[in-house]
Amino acid sequence: MFQTDAMEYQSDSTLPLIIIPAFNEAKTIASVILDIRERYQYPVLVVNDLSIDDTALVARDAGAIVLNLRVQLGAWGATQTGVRYALRKGYTGVLTLDADGQHEPEYIVGMLEQLGDGNDIVIGAYIERCSKARHLARLYFKLLTGLQIEDVTSGFRAYNFRAMQIIASAQATLLDYQDIGVLLLCRRGGLQILELQTPMNLRRSGHSRVFSSWWVVMRYMLQTSILCFSQIGLRKTVQVR
Amino acid sequence: MVITYQWITAILGIVIAGSILFLVRRDHLHGPYAVWWLLVALITIVLGIWPKLVDGLIYALGVAYPPVLLLVFAQGFTLVKILTMDIERSKQERNLRRLAQQMAIMESLIEDYQQAENNTGKQV
Repeated sequence: MFQTDAMEYQSDSTLPLIIIPAFNEAKTIASVILDIRERYQYPVLVVNDLSIDDTALVARDAGAIVLNLRVQLGAWGATQTGVRYALRKGYTGVLTLDADGQHEPEYIVGMLEQLGDGNDIVIGAYIERCSKARHLARLYFKLLTGLQIEDVTSGFRAYNFRAMQIIASAQATLLDYQDIGVLLLCRRGGLQILELQTPMNLRRSGHSRVFSSWWVVMRYMLQTSILCFSQIGLRKTVQVR
Repeated sequence: MVITYQWITAILGIVIAGSILFLVRRDHLHGPYAVWWLLVALITIVLGIWPKLVDGLIYALGVAYPPVLLLVFAQGFTLVKILTMDIERSKQERNLRRLAQQMAIMESLIEDYQQAENNTGKQV
């Protein structure tokens, strides 16, 4: 059973919360927020992961709610903070995207529509972007996990209330990356995951926090492999209250 | 030679025990950990003074060179201790992360309340 942050009171808003984890993204975050706010009414939350630039200030000026972490938790930790905030505030759906502008806000509405269509998680996927080595890594994890998902690393995702409860749980807190571990946990919770093709913007600024060097890639592969091996046979054992 | 070896081990045990008590006294060591280390000190003292205590076990297991058995046990217990330390650290890491998240959320909620209060103040 998951311990959740959901409050007893219901939110007056049926809108989903847009969550953007951000670390030193002052250059791009304003345009991402403004782009979303121009198109939609959805409130935007930026979780500032101990940036040393003006990310928090810029985000607030652009009209986002800003949470400031006092301990650096990484992209997943920051995202989870946003989901816990959303539960605390009574939101029943969230959508996460990266702060560097690689995800196109125009696809948000389509992803949310699919979320209402019996899916618990909708992943905004972009498959063509990867190199041969990455493609091989994807194939490897697909075989290892049995997850029928192409783009497991995508940070462009929509979650419904059921999924929010699972990813906000303490069980998901020790995960260091938002991708496979989170999806495996959701599968154990019996959640329906849909992948939607969303063409991507080339990164306007910044670089991947997950794959910054070969050493980091190796560590990621090893850590994720161990996680996958440890999860074998654990299908659908998690229940949501 | 045998007596020297015995005494060195016993003194080592006493030094460990003394250090543990000192650390607890200075508030550098949390209760449950102190219990473990005092136990280690006690075993070191006892086996230091009376090494023959484990002889029965050594012969029963058919170990040719007795000190090896002690070393194997010591190594085993050290491994268990390190593993439990990492388990404990993982638990603490989880708690730390959740608290950091909670704190960021709380700070934002406090700001909301303060803003709401200011707004009502202005209206009056």
